[in-house]
Amino acid sequence: MKYVIIGDEETVLGFGIVGVTGKVATTPDEARRAFRSVIEDRQTGIVIVTERVADMMRSVVDKYLFAESFPLVVEIPDRHGGKPDRPGIKEMVNTAIGIKL
Amino acid sequence: MTQLNCAPTKTNLLRLRSELNFAQQGYELLDQKRNILIIELLGIVDQAVDFQDRVEKMLKKAYKSMEETIFDMGKLKVQYVIGSVNIDADITIRSRKVMGVDLPVIETKFTDHSPYYSPMGTSFWIDNSLQCFKKVLEQLGKLSELKISVLRLANEVKKTIRKVNALEKIAIPDLKETVHYIEGRLEESERDMFVLMKLVKERLEI
Repeated sequence: MKYVIIGDEETVLGFGIVGVTGKVATTPDEARRAFRSVIEDRQTGIVIVTERVADMMRSVVDKYLFAESFPLVVEIPDRHGGKPDRPGIKEMVNTAIGIKL
Repeated sequence: MTQLNCAPTKTNLLRLRSELNFAQQGYELLDQKRNILIIELLGIVDQAVDFQDRVEKMLKKAYKSMEETIFDMGKLKVQYVIGSVNIDADITIRSRKVMGVDLPVIETKFTDHSPYYSPMGTSFWIDNSLQCFKKVLEQLGKLSELKISVLRLANEVKKTIRKVNALEKIAIPDLKETVHYIEGRLEESERDMFVLMKLVKERLEI
């Protein structure tokens, strides 16, 4: 199985260097369409999505993160850096189990 | 605490008692499940945070290098060179079950056939970018495995806690209260009957 990337042009180009096929998405519509075509491919193992693109289709991404076991979705920051208001892993866990680590 | 609405009869008492028993068993099991999930979660959360920091740092470097590459060679030429790069990343995804939660285990195998392009006419930066992105990709499999595991475990913990609380704070007290009420009523009517019998006996003896 392979990696597939959905993101802005530079990110897709960058991951292209190491042989990851990618789809460029700049609008929510494009993102949704790209995501759908990517998950239809049985060869897709891990979908790499930039945070900005993931935000355009939050509900679809969340569904695949939590409910479906396959394919896996991972979010990475794009070249403008991560979003400042993004909850970290620790905060997410804290809210889930109600105690501070 | 609210009492359940049912008639104070022996049948209902027996039914409610077995229900209470069942609820308590369920509560114990869910409590154990919650503890196991939290232990599992605490085990990987530090690792996940560590990995994320590392990958983000590497990504930043890779993006910077990519920018330089594009400045140096132009997008078109970069795309042209990319076409000749021959790296294959093959992922195997297995899954590991922890208390009914599917956690992925990812193994990535790289097959690499270098050199890819002539060093003539290509920039130093593209080699650099290639190395950077390769390093990122190597770590990305592990990162996604950890991150998804954390997300799924946290979600399951949240659900389990809600169930445990519902049982502990509502279902079990309600059932206990109702069982107590029915027991009281049954005893009361028993005593009533006893007194009645005594009276009847006394009357008969006169």
